[in-house]
Amino acid sequence: MRYLRNLARRPVRTLLTVLGITIGIWALVVFGSMANKINALVAGGSTYYADKITVSDASGQLGGFASAPMSLATADKLRAVDGVNVVDSAVMMLMDEAAPSVTMGVPPMITGSLPGGDQGLESFKLNYVEGRARTLADEGSNVAVLGSDIARKYDKHVGDTIELKGVPFTVIGVLEPTLTAPDQAVSVPLAAAQQLLVTTLPPMIQDKLVTSDIATSMVVYPDVGQDVEALATRIEADVPGISTMTGKDFDKQIGGATSILNSILVGIALISLLVGGLSVVNTMAMSIAERTREIGIKRAIGGSRTRIVRELVIEAGLIGFIGGAIGLILGAVVVTLVNEAGRSSGTVLFELTAGTALTAVAFSTILGALAGFVPALHAARLDPVRALRYE
Amino acid sequence: MNLLEGHALRKTYKLGKHNEVHALRGVDVAIGAGEMVAIMGPSGSGKSTLMHILGLLHAPDVDGGPRPSLTFDGRDMVDLGDRDRTRIRAREMGFVFQDFNLVPTLTAFENVMLACDYAGTSGADARGATHEALDIVGLADRAGHRPSELSGGEQQRVAIARALVNKPRMVLADEPTGNLDSERSVEVLGLLRRSNLEYGRTFILVTHDNEVGDACDRVIRMRDGLIREPTQAVPPVEPRMVDRRDLVAAGPG
Repeated sequence: MRYLRNLARRPVRTLLTVLGITIGIWALVVFGSMANKINALVAGGSTYYADKITVSDASGQLGGFASAPMSLATADKLRAVDGVNVVDSAVMMLMDEAAPSVTMGVPPMITGSLPGGDQGLESFKLNYVEGRARTLADEGSNVAVLGSDIARKYDKHVGDTIELKGVPFTVIGVLEPTLTAPDQAVSVPLAAAQQLLVTTLPPMIQDKLVTSDIATSMVVYPDVGQDVEALATRIEADVPGISTMTGKDFDKQIGGATSILNSILVGIALISLLVGGLSVVNTMAMSIAERTREIGIKRAIGGSRTRIVRELVIEAGLIGFIGGAIGLILGAVVVTLVNEAGRSSGTVLFELTAGTALTAVAFSTILGALAGFVPALHAARLDPVRALRYE
Repeated sequence: MNLLEGHALRKTYKLGKHNEVHALRGVDVAIGAGEMVAIMGPSGSGKSTLMHILGLLHAPDVDGGPRPSLTFDGRDMVDLGDRDRTRIRAREMGFVFQDFNLVPTLTAFENVMLACDYAGTSGADARGATHEALDIVGLADRAGHRPSELSGGEQQRVAIARALVNKPRMVLADEPTGNLDSERSVEVLGLLRRSNLEYGRTFILVTHDNEVGDACDRVIRMRDGLIREPTQAVPPVEPRMVDRRDLVAAGPG
């Protein structure tokens, strides 16, 4: 191919220019995949928290991840508030107390609840890869449903035994990946979770609690047509000692932070791409200067300005495309390797989507072509006679 | 009938703010269809400038003197824009240069076919015309070689094939034998002459070489931006025809 032959005239220079684009696209693919994963987590949370109110003890505000225990009596107080339809109590705790304090997304959790406690109002549906969902008949026995990441991390299937805080549980189901919180959770009967939670608390607090009366979070499903925000305000006013979180609160807290993080990630990648793009401008300008005479010949024997511009822009676009394709391949390799390595520890950092891949290559190609456009235009405007005499 | 007619052709090049070169100072020229004409003169006489204007690579100056006129095949060329000039160069003219000026990354075949491409011919037609043109210059077997793999004489024959491939009305050659030894010069000149005689193609050659001048129908001599001698066409006479046949016989093949 003619364009490749032109690129092969100065192989080292072409290689370096391609490398510049490669690095930029590599960064875009890797950071973009990271942003995708974060977005999926946030979108999952956003969907989960929409149209409901999550209530937790006022002393802990982690959005119900791991807050201080409340009495189940609180649920009755919540039910008394006008506009509340159903209250579903749950116990949530960190699976591993020694879990790193800073993680990507959600730490592994143990959650306990009564099956059907939502009375069919929960819109976030879970699907099972194997086994079954918990039922009320499981209350009193130590059974567990595993999130996809947990199942993969500990290599557990239905019928296996998994130890939670030193207590053996029988696996009865494994969930499909959701890309968000449930992937990192083990779901057990409420009573079992209450028992597990109490054993982890300091003895002084243990003494004050009745094991069968505790919950760490309560999900409030409003009556049909209720304004969720207004109801949350009303609940906070009527029931002392609790705090509420709505979908809007979640989006504000988490969504705001992640969109900044996303901008930073993509920004870094774009800056490196910009540098790559400038190196294409430089390469094309040099390569065109070297070919001044040849451009003169082409113009003299009847090559139109449009033709000259087109040839050079395609050549520059090709640099962008090759750089982008290599960057995408290298990025995909890194993303896959890191994900595979992270899977054993349950941390999947990246999600490379077809959209990200296509955007990256299309973007680099267009960037290359744009970078070649100005030097090409300059070349096409050369006086053919003067260009022919150029040494 | 004149294929090309120019009147009051002037060209001034500005080299600096106060440094102007009057390359052409008002030239009248007429080239008949099927003529083979040499433009001769010392360096700086304006012969290349005249060729560039006749070949539509430059436009004559319009300001600062009597209005010039230039007609090719009866059409006015003075007011033509770049797009139209380029089109006429591509389809109706052929160019041969002193330094061969082939595109180094393209093979001989691709170099010739490039001219077809610019003239709007493509596909089998273009490939056929390219084969034919390379055959005429005796380089059919070298079609796949790059310019760097060809000798100077071979490169110039590729350039001639490129100039002839679109069967142009007129071919302009700037010192076509300037970089060749005398044997190759005769070869190249023979090719040009044969194309002129067999197809009635018009040739304008800029040259220093008196032998090239002698092989042409007529010589336009230039000095200091003006034509020095009367330029009426010399009617061909019998002995010259003999000379021509000698040249054709000396061609490749």
